[in-house]
Amino acid sequence: MLKYILKRVLRACVTLFIIITILFALLRLMPIEGYFDSFDKVSSTEIQVKLNSLGLNDPLPKQLARFYGQLLNGDLGTSNIYRRGVSINTIVAEKIPISVKFGLVSFALSLVMGLALGIWMAHSTRTRFKIGDRLGTVLIVVVQAVPSAVYHIVIQFLGSQYAGIPMLFSENEPISYILPVLSLSIGNTAYYAMWLRRYMVDEANKDYVLLARAKGVPGGAISRRHIFRNAMVPLVQYIPGSVLSTLMGSLYVESLYSIPGMGGLLVTAIKRQDNTLVQALVLIYAVVSILGLLFGDILMAVVDPRISLSKKEGAR
Amino acid sequence: MKENVILSFEDLDVRFTLRGQVLNAIRGISLDVYRGESLAIVGESGSGKSVLTRSAMGLLDANGSIAGGHIWYDGRDLAAFRTEKEWLAVRGREIAMVMQDPMTSLNPLKTVGAQILEAVRLHQGLRGAAARAAAVQALADVGISDPETRYKQYPHEFSGGMRQRVVIAIAIACRPKILICDEPTTALDVTIQAQILDLVRSLQKKLGLTTVYITHDLGVVANVADRIAVMYAGDIVEVGSCDEVFYDPRHPYTWALLSSLPQLGAKGETLYSIQGTPPNLFHEVRGDAFAPRNPQALKIDFLKRPPYFDVSPTHRARTWLLDPRAPRVEPPEHIRRLRERGGGGYV
Repeated sequence: MLKYILKRVLRACVTLFIIITILFALLRLMPIEGYFDSFDKVSSTEIQVKLNSLGLNDPLPKQLARFYGQLLNGDLGTSNIYRRGVSINTIVAEKIPISVKFGLVSFALSLVMGLALGIWMAHSTRTRFKIGDRLGTVLIVVVQAVPSAVYHIVIQFLGSQYAGIPMLFSENEPISYILPVLSLSIGNTAYYAMWLRRYMVDEANKDYVLLARAKGVPGGAISRRHIFRNAMVPLVQYIPGSVLSTLMGSLYVESLYSIPGMGGLLVTAIKRQDNTLVQALVLIYAVVSILGLLFGDILMAVVDPRISLSKKEGAR
Repeated sequence: MKENVILSFEDLDVRFTLRGQVLNAIRGISLDVYRGESLAIVGESGSGKSVLTRSAMGLLDANGSIAGGHIWYDGRDLAAFRTEKEWLAVRGREIAMVMQDPMTSLNPLKTVGAQILEAVRLHQGLRGAAARAAAVQALADVGISDPETRYKQYPHEFSGGMRQRVVIAIAIACRPKILICDEPTTALDVTIQAQILDLVRSLQKKLGLTTVYITHDLGVVANVADRIAVMYAGDIVEVGSCDEVFYDPRHPYTWALLSSLPQLGAKGETLYSIQGTPPNLFHEVRGDAFAPRNPQALKIDFLKRPPYFDVSPTHRARTWLLDPRAPRVEPPEHIRRLRERGGGGYV
């Protein structure tokens, strides 16, 4: 088990190192305008002074070493355009908590609703008319097929018109949290319901379920102890990733409800060519994705005894 | 019901609904299983062997149901059971099952100990340390060495034969009266097969079990069975003691089945095989179901379903050949040779 985890961690570190290096190389290719908020108005001497002070005229290996050093100290650099002279750590620290708060609540909600819906659908496949399964399938297909922008607007419209919930987010009004949380959770709800239903139906047809029935285990206990538990195994792999990705916020929902979260930050940074901010954000996104996969793999090994002990990897 | 009969099928009909069509999987079977005996049900794939035994445990697939007849057990008619609660009093507790493929019949994510413990808790009423001890004992009883360590391991850490031992341990941990072994050795290595059969036989003796084997392997049957029931197309065409069915078979299907045993053929001769395919059970079967594949079939075989004729008090067959009016039809040569050998040594 320990060996498995160490191996995964090591692999994640190597991936991260490569990403950081590529990122550094790419940003050296960007025009130097990205380090000035009003490039046109500064003289060439001023430009050289600024570039020298940022260390951008140093030899590349030296720059790269400094870049690594800063990162190891947890310093993401300073914004040059978006908010001039403000440390990126500060910018991000203001925005991340808002996105994470929304993200975690909606994640928890989608997990609860999605699993409940999935269980209901799976059970309903054994009934005569399969009503639950049919209704659930309709919901899932709609959520998957309709562009998310459409149902986000529908939710906002219905909620504000008929339920009297404020259309925009405001920090001091708890009621205004409802619609964004709902919007954020609906996609994942459909996702979890769809896969849990599918895995539960698969498991229910396996021989060991027949054996459990033959030894006299009541249906409810078989569903809980055998079918549900085994069906969750392939799903848990995605849970850490889902939790971590809440750090990144949601571009669309956050702008729809004017939530000052992380969602739009990267787009703004790219639009305004704030090189250091782009660099920092891409880095954060990469770290989040890699950690999500890493924790997913570890969690998977925790719940499935076959993984940590098998000698061959990558059989999934 | 006779005193020594533990389980009795009476005129049992089992039907499945498949894409709007009705399949008659079991067509009016009557069969007594005697207390403490070892009965083998043989027949080709699709003949209804597994369906017959599963109907006695309420384990038919959702689209299957008992359409008529009775299954008597301990004064109760299992065919009349409708709720899961009624079946829970029978499954495991009275009748337990060992299935064909030990690679898939254990939950891969639970330790074997936990899976035995489930049965112990349900049927021996034990809890805590006592339940655990009983589960470890069950592992020891099926000949698994170092049961304490094995208890904590997962199915993937066991070989096929060892897993089948675990499945048997689960079955006996239920303390059943009847043990159904549904092709218990089909998925196993030939060298392991004998060990598993020996194990079941010794457990049967030790625990006073009644065992029902389902198999298409006549070699297995010869080793373990007291009595044999031969199934064809959802019906039992012949039933008798092991010697009677092997050395004095009467139904043309039994003849054909025995003739296709490689052990009976002579070296250099082409191995006998039965012509044609089993009847389509979606349609009603007229007459003797085996008639279309039987080159020596009588005219009446195509018209009227034969009743059972008694050959001896323990041996009966469903074929018109046993009717006093029937012409004399000689069994194939292999079968005649068997008769001459009669009683002495198994196939």
